[in-house]
Amino acid sequence: MLLQKFCRRTLHTTRQLCNSLEKSALSTLRKKTGYTFANCKKALELHNNDVNQAEKWLHEQAQSLGWSKATKLSDRVTTQGLVGVLVSGNRGAMVELNCETDFVARNETFKRFVDHVSRIVLHYTDLTEFDGDLWKLGFESEALRNLETPQGGSLADHLALLIGAVGENASIRRALCFKVNNDLRLAGYAHPAPTNVGTTQDITQVGKYGAIVAYRSQLDVDDPELQKGICQQIVGMKPLKVGEYDKDTPAENKDDETCLIHQEYLLDADKTVGEVLKEHRVNIIDYHRFECGEQTQQHLKEILQAQQQNSN
Amino acid sequence: MSTARLVRSMASSSSSKWQVNCGVSPQLLLTGNLQQYRVRQYANEKKVFERTKPHCNVGTIGHVDHGKTTLTAAITKVLADKQLAESKKYNEIDNAPEEKARGITINVAHVEYQTESRHYGHTDCPGHADYIKNMITGTAQMDGAILVVAATDGAMPQTREHMLLAKQIGIDHIVVFINKVDAADQEMVELVEMEIRELLTEMGYDGDKIPVVKGSALCALEDKNPEIGSEAILKLLQEVDSFIPTPVRELDKPFLLPVENVYSIPGRGTVVTGRLERGVVKKGMECEFVGYNKVLKSTVTGVEMFHQILEEAQAGDQLGALVRGVKRDDIKRGMVMCKPGSVKALDQLEAQVYILSKEEGGRTKPFMSFIQLQMFSRTWDCAVQVQIPDKDMIMPGEDTKLILRLIRPMVLEQGQRFTLRDGNLTLGTGVVTKVMPPLSETQRIELTEGKKAREKKVAAKK
Repeated sequence: MLLQKFCRRTLHTTRQLCNSLEKSALSTLRKKTGYTFANCKKALELHNNDVNQAEKWLHEQAQSLGWSKATKLSDRVTTQGLVGVLVSGNRGAMVELNCETDFVARNETFKRFVDHVSRIVLHYTDLTEFDGDLWKLGFESEALRNLETPQGGSLADHLALLIGAVGENASIRRALCFKVNNDLRLAGYAHPAPTNVGTTQDITQVGKYGAIVAYRSQLDVDDPELQKGICQQIVGMKPLKVGEYDKDTPAENKDDETCLIHQEYLLDADKTVGEVLKEHRVNIIDYHRFECGEQTQQHLKEILQAQQQNSN
Repeated sequence: MSTARLVRSMASSSSSKWQVNCGVSPQLLLTGNLQQYRVRQYANEKKVFERTKPHCNVGTIGHVDHGKTTLTAAITKVLADKQLAESKKYNEIDNAPEEKARGITINVAHVEYQTESRHYGHTDCPGHADYIKNMITGTAQMDGAILVVAATDGAMPQTREHMLLAKQIGIDHIVVFINKVDAADQEMVELVEMEIRELLTEMGYDGDKIPVVKGSALCALEDKNPEIGSEAILKLLQEVDSFIPTPVRELDKPFLLPVENVYSIPGRGTVVTGRLERGVVKKGMECEFVGYNKVLKSTVTGVEMFHQILEEAQAGDQLGALVRGVKRDDIKRGMVMCKPGSVKALDQLEAQVYILSKEEGGRTKPFMSFIQLQMFSRTWDCAVQVQIPDKDMIMPGEDTKLILRLIRPMVLEQGQRFTLRDGNLTLGTGVVTKVMPPLSETQRIELTEGKKAREKKVAAKK
């Protein structure tokens, strides 16, 4: 601003030049940082059009700006979102993040954040000493917000940054982490998944559904096809439990079957899942399935009721 | 109070109002011939839609806080001042309550208004996945879109996704409205414009030619600063009028009649019946029958509707057409009669399909590639094999791209709608997005192969 005033007082011809100079400062800053135009402008005004200082200031302010945005938007309902599944060796994490519109859920920024949260949750498993067979821990939204991150700040701080960037309310709904030892193994899958992906190790898969399976196998090598098949079965057929051969009997209508082992195998309708597992000498110990928005549905009813009561 | 009485009271109180109300010329009024018009007013108790202008469907897309709904409200307000629309308030259009009630009903705000030259249906597009599915599968159609961007924020990361969706659902014409210029300065507005043009070009639009209008929807709503308020809205509508082309009416396309029934009438010849889907059919026109691996040329020698001779049948008419030189057994239900060369039969296509969820009456189980389904479109049905190009499986309630291979070629075009059924339940509904080359002989043999044969082949390759 000062510069502009100065220019106006000087020769008429230089004014145009100065204007364009300033313009490029604003556009460089915006391109470089991606913060909103209004904030870039403010930063430049505060720092005499010094791009570097303004950028520094913006990064410093991002946290508080994010927080103010997050507080402003905090009462808006988040029903869309993604499930992230990350399996790395004997540790696994599954998270659900929500946002307001599906557009944001499809966006790269949001997907990167899902990856970020998955890794933080996975990191949490390292903090516990455990040598039993299977250890799992579920997080609710509040616990996740208070989770300290290795990068500094709580997860809620990181979430506020995301809200600042996309300008939409977002929430971390829930998370789950797995840790297995001895001869137990983990497999994970998120749907819809791209085909022909070589490995899913240490890569956060994102989708609308997710599943993690802990199993015991008598074979030395993992069979990725089988792992995927079983996870797809859980995502697709939504079994309620693994089931035991001597306790659970198959349901009369095979489409209503809720025991995993008695269900028809999706990839080969001639076999049941139990038969496939026996064939590959695999035992399913435990599994978990997330569906994006399945909890929100229940919350929504409460929210709507509360709204009605308020309006009455 | 009845309308007639209302009119009478108004007529007595002010003659000028009376003119506005039913549009009688002043001369008629002077003669005192009121009775006649009073009768006409009765019929107008529910307003009759007058089709005097071409219709066009548009929608607003953009970030939740950039003022899509405010803009929609502002458009209706500005046009209401010119008697071209009914003013709608923000909360009448706001989708948020419905978005919250997702899963109960999806009620999307649909607003109508008109400009000097066109009539518009306007959708305020919500951002939830269910509605996006509707747009992708073509249930909610738009001829053009207004992209709303706030000058204070500029393009958001997800603006890319907004454009991607527009591209995906076949919207070729976008008009940009830079909103909230009252809260920004000239320089910011210019930069936002540059940025949005760049992004449009990157997403495959002609970024340099797309009209960009700057203004403030809020100012228009509150009757402040007309130069960025109401005038900007009018400018936007002008751009929409000129930049988004009027969709071609069914009537103006080459004629097409899906054959429903075929009769042989002694002494006259073969008659095909059906509902004319588009175009105009007259006696003496050349026609072609396509479908079931056949293409037959013929001439229409007579058109009838309800056993009466018709000069000219128009799109939408249920008609019977007498055709020359073809036998009854040559033609079958499911073929189409059309202008020669205007359509082709296909046996491979790419489609965007919405798979019904269990609650909507669809399947309970997901499905994988190679499932055999029955495809229904127009008057035909045909067995198809499904290939899923970019996923492993499809869950009920998802939308997806599918490649469909038909057992025999049938008439299909881009944009044609169809239904997929599995036994006695409807599995999904979709729209043809891309026409693919015909199947080769080996591919056709593979269609009928069972699963075991496929597995054997895969094993042999390894």
